Amino acid sequence: MPDVQSTVLEFVNKLRKRKIEGSQATAKCTAELLRSVISQQRVPHANQASALIDAVKAVGEQLVAANPVELAVGNVVRRVLHIIREEDLSLATAAMAGLDLLDASDDEEDGNSKGVGYSPMSAAVVAAAARSTLRPPSLQTLLEGTPESAAVPYTSSSGADSESKTADKSSITRKLKHDVIEGVNHLILEISGCHDQIAEQAIEHIHQNEVILTLGSSRTVLEFLCAAKEKKRSFRVFVAEGAPRYQGHLLAKELVARGLQTTVITDSAVFAMISRVNMVIIGAHAVMANGGVIGPVGVNMAALAAKKHAVPFVVLAGSHKLCPLYPHNPEVLLNELRSPSELLDFGEFSDCLDFGTGSGSPLLQVVNPSFDYVPPNLVSLFITDTGGHNPSYMYRLIADYYSADDLVM
Amino acid sequence: MWIRSADWLEQAQAAVRRYPEKDSPVSSRPFAVIEEFNNWRQQPDLAEAVAAIRALAAVIRASEATTMMELEIELKKASDTLKAWDTTSISLTAGCDLFMRYVTRTSALEFEDFNSAKFRVLGRAEKFGEISNKARKIIAMLSQDFIFDGCTILVHGFSRVVFEILKTAAQNKKLFRVLCTEGRPDKTGVLLAKELAKLDVPLKLLIDSAVAYCMDEVDMVFVGADGVVESGGLVNMMGTYQIAIVAHSMNKPVYVAAESYKFARLYPLDQKTLEPALRPIDFGVSVPPKVEVERSARDYTPPQFLTLLFTDLGVLTPSVVSDELIQLYS
Repeated sequence: MPDVQSTVLEFVNKLRKRKIEGSQATAKCTAELLRSVISQQRVPHANQASALIDAVKAVGEQLVAANPVELAVGNVVRRVLHIIREEDLSLATAAMAGLDLLDASDDEEDGNSKGVGYSPMSAAVVAAAARSTLRPPSLQTLLEGTPESAAVPYTSSSGADSESKTADKSSITRKLKHDVIEGVNHLILEISGCHDQIAEQAIEHIHQNEVILTLGSSRTVLEFLCAAKEKKRSFRVFVAEGAPRYQGHLLAKELVARGLQTTVITDSAVFAMISRVNMVIIGAHAVMANGGVIGPVGVNMAALAAKKHAVPFVVLAGSHKLCPLYPHNPEVLLNELRSPSELLDFGEFSDCLDFGTGSGSPLLQVVNPSFDYVPPNLVSLFITDTGGHNPSYMYRLIADYYSADDLVM
Repeated sequence: MWIRSADWLEQAQAAVRRYPEKDSPVSSRPFAVIEEFNNWRQQPDLAEAVAAIRALAAVIRASEATTMMELEIELKKASDTLKAWDTTSISLTAGCDLFMRYVTRTSALEFEDFNSAKFRVLGRAEKFGEISNKARKIIAMLSQDFIFDGCTILVHGFSRVVFEILKTAAQNKKLFRVLCTEGRPDKTGVLLAKELAKLDVPLKLLIDSAVAYCMDEVDMVFVGADGVVESGGLVNMMGTYQIAIVAHSMNKPVYVAAESYKFARLYPLDQKTLEPALRPIDFGVSVPPKVEVERSARDYTPPQFLTLLFTDLGVLTPSVVSDELIQLYS
């Protein structure tokens, strides 16, 4: 598969050079790449699921290593792994049910020689045990554990029936791959449709004559505000300009083009204006498992200001931004330092800056982080494509979207 | 269909018949449970919940029950006596409840006959010590990400899990410093310091009242747990609450290390809701007879002061605890 290998490399390079921006675009590209990886992957007869998982994991590791700060990549890889596991499980369960019938009919013929290697447990029990491996561990399963006998038929489920009916085999193989690709397609649709899903809820949150503050530029926020406008709500938007990249200017331009009352303020004026604001709405770069948010730099300041004045702080995030990891030291580990040229012109300050040529350290240093971490206690509400959620509820969504085995890649 | 119901009726009658006449041997049984429990508790590395579950397993082994229902009734009695024997121990209660719930959920139907179900329950109970040890290892592994080089960790009291975490970190060649509180009145902090000193971890001992004074050099607080309650709050050795308040006010994370079998179905509303576990306190000088002495051995820390829980179920926010408990007991 040289072509897949080269597309992977191309994508890795793009990620490494930060050519792709925005978590939605990255997520979508990742999902599309993984789809082609899966469709090109040749699968053996036995254990096709694990072959697919290995292939996806191998590519996923490269992608994550290329840009560890863009958490959406890892999220999508984990989602795809989860899809493979789920599809394999549903096929295995179906196969087990069929096998169980066969087993029962065999029993009647040759008396009590049940020893085909299967425990006397029903298919339902096995399926339940296998299903529990997909779920994160819980108190319920603490004592139960996975019965060893159940684990064996589960892993060899696709291998076992190949002995008896090879003809069916290839169709099952194709079925798994087909189902997985179907699932990934669904995921891609979900990622590209998340703006609309989130925007649909705008009318419930934005009311007549309200003042909304936002910071940085997010397409989700833009669509959200416009959706409320389309429903004939009239309100005013304050846009913090988002230095040093001034993406707020672009957002303001777009908002005005769509006919919204817009005011541009400097980032430093957020605290001064917050008492006039009814709600702060921002787009997230990533949402962590504890409900903390990684957003454009300056967001923590806005969140603190909102807290001080008891203004609701609402975060919009598509489900591909949900990251199953807990942040430790997020200000440093999940941040990216960008070029000083965004702050200072090279010409004017070239005397003070030392570009690695002179001796000794330069007197002038420039730090230009791109992200901020907002702790969960400052967030009032998350709006995702599945509805509004409390920060403390994030772990629940994560349990739905990811398998426990994939959390550490 | 008819045959089955007749069968069931017979068994039920047998069970009813059995109980009144068994009353006299039953009266000696509660003794046996507690003795068994105390036997297990002698082992130094065994948690209380594990001892409780092992004691209940002994009840199953000695039981002459022939149906799951009978077994459940017998176990219920035994676990009630165990719980009544020490009402203040949260992990004992939680361990008994967890095991009872497990037995109820393991229906004989799934295993086709009573004996195999019984053996399975017994097998799991006997493995519980292993499960508990494994839980400690998992927790130690999960917490490693949070201990960064050069950090200072404040610990309070002696907790086997916290010790395991610090031991693993030391073995992973992490560079960190530990501040141990003294842990009055039984000096459990000194005990922890002794153990840590053997691992060559840089240490500082402080008296319990020096916590606020030292908090500015601390990067994170690690505490163990007697029990984690349904609100996500924590019941632990006296002094945990004030440490958590100080840490919270100075924006330092408070991490709780607790095995998931310590999750208990309690919902304390304030400090005094729980039955206090009293303990003698030696002040070193004689206390005048009319002076009251606060002898409670533990306090309750509400969830808003806790940052994360490290459990064998993963790294959790306090709000997950109620979810897990509801899932198990609904």
